[in-house]
Amino acid sequence: MQTSKTLTGPPPLESGWLSRVVSSYAVRTLLQALLTIWAVVTFTFFLIRLMPGNPIDVYVGFLMNQSNLTYGEALQQAASQFSFDPNASVFQQYLGYLGDLVRGDLGTSITSTGTQVVDQIARFLPWTLFCVGLGLLISFVLGMTIGMLIAYYRNSVLDTAVSFFASVLGAVPDYIWGLLILVVFGVQLGWFNIGELRGTYDPGLTPGFTPAFIWSVVRHAFLPVLVYVIGTLGSWILNMRSSTTSVLGEDYVNVARARGLTPGRIATTYVGRNAALPLFTLLAVNIGLVIGGSVIIEELFVYKGIGSFLFFSISQRDYTSMQGVFLVIAVSVVVANILADLLYSSLDPRVRIEGER
Amino acid sequence: MVWRKLKLMFKAFGILALLGSAAAQEGTTFYGGYPYPVPPDGHFNTFATNAINFYSFYSDLLEPPLGVYKWAEGEYEGMLAESFGFDDDNNYVVTLKEGITWSDGTPLSSADVVTTFNVNYLLNSPIWEGLQRVEAVDERTVRFVFDEPSFAAERQVMVEPIRANSVYGDFGERAATLISEGVTDEDEAFTTLLTELTEFRPETYVTSGPYTLTRENVSDARALLTKNEGGFNSDVVRFDNVVLWNGETETVTPLVTAGELWYGTYGFPPATEEAFVAQGIDIVRGPLYSGPALYFNHTVAPLDRPEVRRALAHAIDRDENGFVSLGDSGVAVEYMSGMSDLVAENNVDEAVLDELDEYDYDPELAAQMLTEIGFTKGDDGVWVDDTGKRMAFTLIFPSDYSDWAAAAENVTQALNEFGFDITARGVLSQQQQQDVYDGNFEMAIRNWGAASPLPYVSYLEPYRRYNGEGQFAGEGTGGGMGFDTNVTYSGGEVDLLELTLASSRGLDEARQREQAGQLAQSFNELLPIIPLWERYGNNPLNREFVDAPPSDDPIYQNGTAVPDPFMTYLLLTGGVGPAAQ
Repeated sequence: MQTSKTLTGPPPLESGWLSRVVSSYAVRTLLQALLTIWAVVTFTFFLIRLMPGNPIDVYVGFLMNQSNLTYGEALQQAASQFSFDPNASVFQQYLGYLGDLVRGDLGTSITSTGTQVVDQIARFLPWTLFCVGLGLLISFVLGMTIGMLIAYYRNSVLDTAVSFFASVLGAVPDYIWGLLILVVFGVQLGWFNIGELRGTYDPGLTPGFTPAFIWSVVRHAFLPVLVYVIGTLGSWILNMRSSTTSVLGEDYVNVARARGLTPGRIATTYVGRNAALPLFTLLAVNIGLVIGGSVIIEELFVYKGIGSFLFFSISQRDYTSMQGVFLVIAVSVVVANILADLLYSSLDPRVRIEGER
Repeated sequence: MVWRKLKLMFKAFGILALLGSAAAQEGTTFYGGYPYPVPPDGHFNTFATNAINFYSFYSDLLEPPLGVYKWAEGEYEGMLAESFGFDDDNNYVVTLKEGITWSDGTPLSSADVVTTFNVNYLLNSPIWEGLQRVEAVDERTVRFVFDEPSFAAERQVMVEPIRANSVYGDFGERAATLISEGVTDEDEAFTTLLTELTEFRPETYVTSGPYTLTRENVSDARALLTKNEGGFNSDVVRFDNVVLWNGETETVTPLVTAGELWYGTYGFPPATEEAFVAQGIDIVRGPLYSGPALYFNHTVAPLDRPEVRRALAHAIDRDENGFVSLGDSGVAVEYMSGMSDLVAENNVDEAVLDELDEYDYDPELAAQMLTEIGFTKGDDGVWVDDTGKRMAFTLIFPSDYSDWAAAAENVTQALNEFGFDITARGVLSQQQQQDVYDGNFEMAIRNWGAASPLPYVSYLEPYRRYNGEGQFAGEGTGGGMGFDTNVTYSGGEVDLLELTLASSRGLDEARQREQAGQLAQSFNELLPIIPLWERYGNNPLNREFVDAPPSDDPIYQNGTAVPDPFMTYLLLTGGVGPAAQ
C-alpha cells in the first residue's frame, strides 16, 4: 500500500523562509513543471531543425510544381519571401527563441508572413479541446460504467461478450474506425452526406452563441467525437473491469458487506472510488495527449483543430508554428499531470501531499 | 435489431444534418477539390504564400492570366489579352480585351498589368532578369521592354495571373519607383516594402475571372466560388458556381466515390483508381511532362562511362517499371531525349528523333555492350569492370514517394538480375534530395523533365540543379552528380549547360530548334541520367455530372497542374458544363 511518505520526496531543508518556500509542494511542483517544459522546448527546438529540408526547400518544390519555375528561379523567389535564414546559427536562433518565450512571445509564422503563432493556436486549439475533450469525457464515463458493471458480473455471458467487444474496439486504431464510418455508412449505404459534415461548422455561419451556430458545431463534431469514443472506449472498459475485479477482492469490501452496507453504497464509495484511482492517472495522461493525438482524425474529417494545424505546419516546415504547438502539448501534459496528482490525493484519503497536512 | 437501430440513428443524424446545414447554392455548381489553408494562415494576398487561390490548379478562374498555352497546338490563346506578341522593336505588346470588370466594379485596364509585374519585381520574379520596364501605352495596351527578348520571357508574361490595381496599386507604384532607381533586394528600402507586401492581407478578393470568392464563402471544408458577372467570360462559363473541397488525397477520396467531387487533380493510388473505374467514373490522363529517372554519381567509376549507362538502359524494362509504379499513368519514355516525348515532338526535327536510340529492353545486348568494354562476370555472377571493380552500388530513393519507391525497387531487381549488386535504400524525400545535391550517393532516383513547352527547362535539372546548383539551397556542400557538361558526342564538342542556356535566348525559332535537336541527340548518346517513365495524371472525372470533351481530346495534353491546366481552360471557355440528367 502506498503511504504519504512515498510521495513526499526529499526531506525539508533545515530552517528559514527560503527553505520553507523551496520545500513547499507548490513551489517544487512549479519548478519541476518549468524544468520539464524547458527540456521539452529545447529538445523539440533542435529536433525540428534536424528534420530534412527547411521552409525554403519546401517552398522551392512547391513553386517548381505549381508555377513551373526552374529550380534556380524558384530558389531565388522563395528566398525572398521568408524572413528565414537557413545559414543562421541554430544556437543563436535558440537563444532568441527562448528570450521571446520568456517575454510570452511565440513569434510569427515563417510561411504565413506576419501571422502571430499565438493567433494560429487560438484559432485551432479550441476546436480540438472541444472535440477530443468531449470524446474523451464520454468514453471515460461510459468505459468506467460498463467496466464496473461487467466486473460485477464477471465470468458471465455479458462479461465475455462485452470484454470481447471491448478488445476489438481497443485493437483497431481510431482512424480505421473513422474511415469505416465514412466509407460504409456515408458512401456505401448513403445514410448521411459526408460532404455536409466536413469542417467545424457550416459555411456561411458567423461564429457566436446562436442556436444555429451551436447546432452546426455539434453536428460537425458528431462524427469525430464518435470516432474518438469508439477508438478509446475499449481500453477504458477493460482497465476499469480489471481494476474493479481487483478491488472487489479487497478485505475492506468484505468488511463493508459484513457491516450490512447497501450494495449501492459499497459500489460507489468502496469499490468504484478505489477502482477508478488508476484510471484517473491514465485520464491525466490522455488529457495531455488530446492535443497532439488528434492529427489523423482531424485530417480525415477536415476538422481544423490543432492536430490538423500541426500537420500543415510540419508539411511546410514552419518551425515557429511547430514550436508553438509542441509548447502547448508540453504545457498541457505537465498541467494534466499536476491536476492528476491533486485529483488523486483528493480521491484517496490515504495519499496526502505533505503541504496539506 | 442492432443494425436497424444503428441505421435509424445514422439516418436521423443525416436528416438532422441536412436540416441544419447551410442552404444549397443556387444554379449549377461544379464540384472539384484542392487543399487550401484556412485563416489566419490562408488569406487573399495572392502575391504571398498561403493565399487561398488554389494556385495553378484553379487560380485562373479568379485571376486569369493574359493567355493560356495550348500544348497540342503549340500556341497561346488570349484570355485577358485580345492581342499579344513581339513588335518590330522586340518589345512584347499586349492589348487587353474590352468590357471586363473586376469584382469591385473597376474596369480591367493596363494599370492592372503594370501593377502586377512591378509588384513581381519585389518577389524576385525571374521575368525581371531580362525585363527593363513595363509601361502602359494606353488604357488597354501594355508594353514590356526587354534587354533580350525570348520565348521564355513571353511565357512568363502570358501565364502570370493579373492582379487588381485597386488592391495592389500602392505597392505597384512604390515598386516602380524602386525599379527606376535601380534599388535591388540588397537594399533596405526593397526589403521593407517586400515585408510590407507579404504581410498585407486584403479584406476582399477582387477578381477579374468569371468567379469570385468572399470571406464568408471560405470554410474549413470547402470554398464556394460564385459568379462575377462582369468578369472574363462570365457569360460563357456553364457553371454558376464552383465548389472546391478542401483536403488532401486521402480525405477527398470518399467524396469522389460518394459523387460529391466530380473532378479531382490528386494523384490517386492505382487501387483507388480501379475502384473509381468500377464505379463508372472516367479517368483522364493528362501528361505531367516529367517523371523519375535513374541518376548516377559521375565521380564514381565506372558510372562516369557512357557505355556503362547505355548498357544499363537496355537492362531496364521501362514499360514494366512504369506500370508497377503507377499503373496506366506510368508511361515508358520513348525517345530518351532528356525532355518529355511530347515536348520533343513539338521542338525537335523528325529526322533527329528518328536517329535517337530508344534503348529497348534487351539484357543480352546490354551484356554484350559491357563485355565489349572489358567487363566480365565474377564467380558470384556479378559484373566486374576492366579494373577489377565489382559492380556493387547503393541506390537511394525517396521512401515517401510511393511511385518512385516502386520504380527504385523495380530498377534494383532488374539490375540485380542483370548482374549488378544494387542495394536500394529508402530515405525521406527531402533528405534524399539533399544527399543528391551534396553528391552523397552512387545511384539515385530523382525527377527528370519539366512541364514547360520550352525544351531548355528540362535540361536544367540534370545539368544544373542536380549538378552543383543545389548547394545554394543552404545546407549542401554542392557537387551533385558531378557530371562534366563539357562533352564530346557525334555532333562534336559542346558545353551542354551553355548550349541549354543559349537555347533559351532570342526569338530565332530555327536556331532554337536546331539547338533542341543537339541537346536531344547528345543526351540520347551520353545518357547522363536514365529517364524511366513519364507520369500522367489519373484524374477522376464523373461524367454522370459533368459534360466534358472525350478523353482523347487534344486539350488534355495541357496537363493538370502546369500554368495552363486543361480543366480551368475548359471551365473558362465553357468546354465543360452540367451533364444532361
